[in-house]
Amino acid sequence: MLTTESYFDTIRRTWTDEIVVCSLGTTADSWWDATRSTSSFYVNAAMGFASSVALGIALRLSQARVWALDSDGALAMNLGGILTEAAAAPPNFAHIVLDNRSYGCLHGAPLVNAGRTDYAAIARDAGIAAAVSVESADDLGAALAQSRTGHAFVVAHVASPPRGVGLEPPLAIPLDGPELKYAFGRHMESRFGIQVFGPQGY
Amino acid sequence: MLEYPSVDLSLFERIADELAAARIGFAAMLPDDWTSPLCTVLDRAPEFRAIRVAREPEIIGLCTGCFFTGSLGLGVLGATGFLACASEIATLTRRYQIPMVLVVSKRGTLDDHQVFQEVQGRTARPMADLLGLPSLDLDSPESLAGIGDLANASRLQKRPGIAWLTKALIVQSPTAVAS
Repeated sequence: MLTTESYFDTIRRTWTDEIVVCSLGTTADSWWDATRSTSSFYVNAAMGFASSVALGIALRLSQARVWALDSDGALAMNLGGILTEAAAAPPNFAHIVLDNRSYGCLHGAPLVNAGRTDYAAIARDAGIAAAVSVESADDLGAALAQSRTGHAFVVAHVASPPRGVGLEPPLAIPLDGPELKYAFGRHMESRFGIQVFGPQGY
Repeated sequence: MLEYPSVDLSLFERIADELAAARIGFAAMLPDDWTSPLCTVLDRAPEFRAIRVAREPEIIGLCTGCFFTGSLGLGVLGATGFLACASEIATLTRRYQIPMVLVVSKRGTLDDHQVFQEVQGRTARPMADLLGLPSLDLDSPESLAGIGDLANASRLQKRPGIAWLTKALIVQSPTAVAS
């Protein structure tokens, strides 16, 4: 089974020019640790809705390939979003879910219905044909490469973190909301030749 | 068998025109009965990419993504759905300073006789004020001209702006929404 480190390392190595939007907690912190990317967007807020942010970008900007890096805990908070995603079916969008059956930033506190929920099956039954589950780095890399051919939903089974007790650790990302907004928005402007901010910067 | 009155769509087409004039071209929608005709219009309007969502907080995420593509996003939702978005508006749009326009039904007012909307009448507007959101009452045909200013205020203040869809406006349609 994948570890958290091998999961993010595989995504980093497969990543080329995709626009990456990260869910909060382990996902955002680990992507930052793996890439130090300021051209990605970190939704350290609104648990469950990073995938909606990513979907909004994909729907409006067909020339961008967009990856939503999500987790099972976040997905469980926006499970209905799978229906929205399935209905819209943007060909430039991949929803990638870290399934570790627990809340990483809560020291492995268990997720509801842990180990029984098949998120890829839910996505397939909602109409996303290219919904797959993977267990290894090779299969994850292959699924990510395949995702470049159309709308995809990839669930990676990752080892659960050790169970413990404690308060949430501080964020790894040294940037707060407005700075993340401007860094990502300026990247979108230069990358795609669009105007996110007006002449006075708002 | 209950009969539901039809609605004159011309009023909602005017709202869509004002939204388009404000350079809004994307709409994420989960309507109640007051906002449903607007969704019908937006579904048909070539100026808009309109999608339906399963639950209202998705609208806040989708419109945030839309902002990063160079356009204000539009959310269309009922007052109950707006209440469901408190966390996402606070932690996403306010923390990250993201503008968008939300057309929300102003339910639970004295002229709204649906008992299941009365709590929304006492809570939705105060919640918007608590979140510091600029807003505009759409209560007459003339008021629709303020949509552009609301969109601009949303950008200037870097937060969602709310256009409250009132019954006073809707009943000006020849065949209005039932009360």
